[in-house]
Amino acid sequence: MADAMSHEEVADLLALEALGALEPSDRDDMERHLATCAACRHAADEYAELASLLPAALEVVPPPARLRRNLMAQVYAEATASPTVPWWRRVIDAIPANRTFTVVGAVAVIAAIAFGIWGATGRNLPQPAVTISYPVSGTTATGTLDVPAGGTPAVLLVNGLQPLPSTKTYEVWLIPTQGSPKGVAFLSPSPQVGGWVAAIPGSLAGYKSLAATVEPAGGSSTPSNTEVLSGQLSAS
Amino acid sequence: MHLSDDDIVRSISAHSPEGIEALYDRYGGLAHTVALRILSDRGAAEDVVQESFLAVWRRGATFQSGRGSLRSWICTIVRNRAIDRLRGDRHRTRLDTPIEGESIEPAVSDPWAAVALELSGEEVRKALAELPDEQRQTIELAYYGGYSQSEIATAMEVPLGTVKGRVRIALDKLRASLADRVETPWQTQ
Repeated sequence: MADAMSHEEVADLLALEALGALEPSDRDDMERHLATCAACRHAADEYAELASLLPAALEVVPPPARLRRNLMAQVYAEATASPTVPWWRRVIDAIPANRTFTVVGAVAVIAAIAFGIWGATGRNLPQPAVTISYPVSGTTATGTLDVPAGGTPAVLLVNGLQPLPSTKTYEVWLIPTQGSPKGVAFLSPSPQVGGWVAAIPGSLAGYKSLAATVEPAGGSSTPSNTEVLSGQLSAS
Repeated sequence: MHLSDDDIVRSISAHSPEGIEALYDRYGGLAHTVALRILSDRGAAEDVVQESFLAVWRRGATFQSGRGSLRSWICTIVRNRAIDRLRGDRHRTRLDTPIEGESIEPAVSDPWAAVALELSGEEVRKALAELPDEQRQTIELAYYGGYSQSEIATAMEVPLGTVKGRVRIALDKLRASLADRVETPWQTQ
């Protein structure tokens, strides 16, 4: 069907679309027009950007720290459990965009060629090496604490834990060779990984073991006597 | 180390956890505020924010270059998910675009990117306050209430055509007002 809409009519629809109020009956007409009108595509971008400024008028409500902790625990756990990015993607993504072709770029291209030959054998690029994997266990739980090489957090993956009521949480503790246990993370259920996960930030140096206990939601200053798993932080 | 939005996009596309971490650190507060404003429930808002960032993480490698800024993109994802939660998925008339179809390409040269960086919350509040009540209410119903154009027309007891024009006029006024506040060269269309 021919596009019979004026720019002004389309602008009405673009504004509705930017606010999420456009209905499907009008969307087809709008998209048909956009397919052939660069000016209206630009207007669409502007309305979308404008709409995205609306939240700036709200008083910012900072998210609780647990949200970041839970999110990143899940992300790092999934990264550890399923590092499936193909070799060519990593090579391409490793080359800086919009930059002058420099020695670094040349090296990247050479590396890409080398990896290409290597990748043609059907392999993936080497993933960040997991230098140590510590087993952990409890009455019903088993799992591992994977400590990757270089900078990224250690990831605790656990199976066999029971769901908790919303008023409780599984808190992870590092136990130092001397001194009091330090609460470092909370275990979160991860359907994607199929168990419970926690990202343990920082160095494990100076700690002899790890444990998890059941604590009130939000955590405790010291662990209660409810240990559900533990593991030694020494090379097996 | 300060990452630009471009750096974050590349990191996300490379399926790097650090990319999501940087995205959250930059826009997590905004995302949480949007979700909480729509849902008025802290637990539900946290769920939506976590689901949104996890969706970005899990599908990051599928993004294609496109249009819009990173801030706009994450706001759209969070808003759409919050509205879906609000509506209980009873009737997905919509309204939103699935995340697979969203594209990211920070428009660093876009004048609105500069506007966004310079604007304070107070300036946006003032610009909104200058709108006639019916225009501001229409924006609120649509953006935070998840109302469609027909639902707005019913709720405000005005013809559908009035709603269409009102939304565009309101956004055009807002654009002009905000552009004036940051002294950014701007030509309204």
